[in-house]
Amino acid sequence: MMVSSSRKITSILGSELDKLVTLPLILRTLMATFIVNVVLTAAFTSANLQGTTGAQSILDTGLASMGYLQAGFIILGILATCSEYTGGQIRTTLIVIPWRGFQLSTKHLALAVITVPMAFIMAASGVLYAFIMMKDTAAGIETGTVIRTVIGATGYLTLTTLLSAAVGALFKRTTPALVVLLGYYFIVSPLMRNYLPRIKNYSPDTAGSYMYMPLSTDEINALTVMQGTGILLLWTLLFITVAIILYRRRDA
Amino acid sequence: MLPYNESHNRKGVLWLLTINNLVKQRGNHEILSGISFKARPGRVTGFLGPNGAGKSSTLRILLGLDRATSGSALIDGKPFAELQNPLSTVGAALDGFGAHRMRTGRAHLRWIARAAGLPRSRVEEVLEIVGLTDAAGKRVGTYSLGMGRRLGMAAALLGDPEILILDEPVNGLDPEGIRWIRTFLRERAASGKTVLLSSHLMGELAETVDDVVIINRGKVVANGTLEEVIGSHSTLEEAFFALTTEHAGAVV
Amino acid sequence: MRAFNAELSKLFSLPGIWLAFLIGACAPAIIAALDSMAEKDDILAGVSTRLSEVGLIGLGAGVQGIIILGVLAVSSEYLTESSESGGGNQITTSLTAVSSRLQFLLAKAGAVAVISILLFVVAIVTTMSATKLILGEYAPVFEASKLVGVGCYWTFTALLAFGMTVLTKNGIIPLAVLIINSSVVTISYLLTKVTKLAFYLPDRAGMDMFMSDGYHTPITGGFIMFAWVTVLFIVAAIVFHRRDVAS
Repeated sequence: MMVSSSRKITSILGSELDKLVTLPLILRTLMATFIVNVVLTAAFTSANLQGTTGAQSILDTGLASMGYLQAGFIILGILATCSEYTGGQIRTTLIVIPWRGFQLSTKHLALAVITVPMAFIMAASGVLYAFIMMKDTAAGIETGTVIRTVIGATGYLTLTTLLSAAVGALFKRTTPALVVLLGYYFIVSPLMRNYLPRIKNYSPDTAGSYMYMPLSTDEINALTVMQGTGILLLWTLLFITVAIILYRRRDA
Repeated sequence: MLPYNESHNRKGVLWLLTINNLVKQRGNHEILSGISFKARPGRVTGFLGPNGAGKSSTLRILLGLDRATSGSALIDGKPFAELQNPLSTVGAALDGFGAHRMRTGRAHLRWIARAAGLPRSRVEEVLEIVGLTDAAGKRVGTYSLGMGRRLGMAAALLGDPEILILDEPVNGLDPEGIRWIRTFLRERAASGKTVLLSSHLMGELAETVDDVVIINRGKVVANGTLEEVIGSHSTLEEAFFALTTEHAGAVV
Repeated sequence: MRAFNAELSKLFSLPGIWLAFLIGACAPAIIAALDSMAEKDDILAGVSTRLSEVGLIGLGAGVQGIIILGVLAVSSEYLTESSESGGGNQITTSLTAVSSRLQFLLAKAGAVAVISILLFVVAIVTTMSATKLILGEYAPVFEASKLVGVGCYWTFTALLAFGMTVLTKNGIIPLAVLIINSSVVTISYLLTKVTKLAFYLPDRAGMDMFMSDGYHTPITGGFIMFAWVTVLFIVAAIVFHRRDVAS
């Protein structure tokens, strides 16, 4: 059934990468996300310089736009899987690669290959911008902490992208996937944090946010970086598994 | 005519398509109720029936896109998903473009070639064969119906397969294209390959096919060589209407 | 009028529209219910300062459904993702059926506006029942002027989504921008920290129609948002009139 010679894996991974790279929407999403992120970071930085918001450190400011930045990566994930269903491309895909579970896993892998460097660049550019603008005002900053935080942010964005891709594969259509994911991340989740504080730490976004949030000890039920990563990772794997099971069962 | 013949030909294998008592239910509706037929190597098999008779559903099950409720559709005795090299065994062009609208025709063929481990030069070869070289750099969304069909053919031919499965191949083609496809399919069959094509256009087919399977409302109503199926009728078209129209007697 | 009826029937036959209805009609009630439960103790003790806002916040969130409505009304004309053959360009058919493009656009915008008002009425009923159920006699009584404000906000937002989608021809951007921007901490709110000009953004100004302690008076806020809608609609109409259908 599954032919797992390494040559086959490489060629299918290459093919999935080709698909992502040659899709203009993916490139445009990444570019738009980058630009918007820089603009928002600039806005946050300027607001912070005026002293109107509470956050002080360069890291806080540089990553303040994470909440919005993740939207770009959610869209990226959805596009990666939902684009298969445009113009009946899914039939071509399944005729060329009939091993469905293998194909969808490889797609997630290809997506991760693209997302990791992109997420790193965006997270780092935000912090860098904030550093350049605020270096006179802010207190001394440790390089180790910066690197750890940026890597955490990269991991968070990558896992969120993969989770979104799995949700996209479940829905097969861009619009409902977009409405559900953005609706959850931007409407339901913030409300949940207010009304249901007990379970918020188990949600993918709040738990995941501990991956890059500076360890503040004033919150009682804060998670450690590892706990946060674990919970988000579990959510992502859960969604990918469900997506694969459904993908294998249903008619294309 | 194609340089790939030797490398992929496995001697002593009969590239037979066997459809055996295929049943497909969608909801309460039975789309296919016990379809059985064979498509043999060295012959062009025409799979005929009115719109909605179940032609596409049969082909989709044969290609592993949809699941059969019961019965089997085998390629050389195996389900499609168990083929070692699907692309060089079966080339298929189903209805529609089978490609994402935002990608260029060339990029579309390239990811397919990459997945099957074929060199990029093969993409240029098939573009040349179907006469799409000039339009290869354009987005698929700008293609006409005929160009879309040619792109589908190009994808089907990439692996120089032993078996060709084409859904309504002449749909949307101009007279020149129709003539080209006829000659092309005859040549494929003459070189010992298996060709299965579905159509609702009788006139176009009579000159191309060797064997004919006619289905109506999910059941096979005629199956045999072209001569056998025409029988006492004057043309294939007459035979088709006699077999598929309920009030055939009243008309004649 | 015939074009308007045609647009209504097109909208009602879209599968995605039911999602819009569901969100528009239920989300306000659910949020109002949650909010009421959270505030219940304070309200019963008579110390709540937010009593008048309990239902309004929910109604503000219901605008999600309206955003989907406005976006889908246009994006469905351009591309339907379907596993079967090619993306359907329904727009070609539509423009053959209604020859004047301006008439087509007006009929569609009219249909969107009418549905959003109807949906708003449904949302008020569900929200009031939800707050009644939880707070009983303490349930807030909505001021009519504020309700009119929220209603205008819904309709204007629907038309903004509509106009944006005409320009982009694709639902992704308007959906992303509008949903993200109706989050708890909106981008426009953030921008108000940087420049006072951000108070003139459509959603900021529009919210002043029903939120207390606004930057503008309700009337001014409404006018500013309406001006945005009008300008966007004119730009959309010009672009729509000029471009080739197939492009």
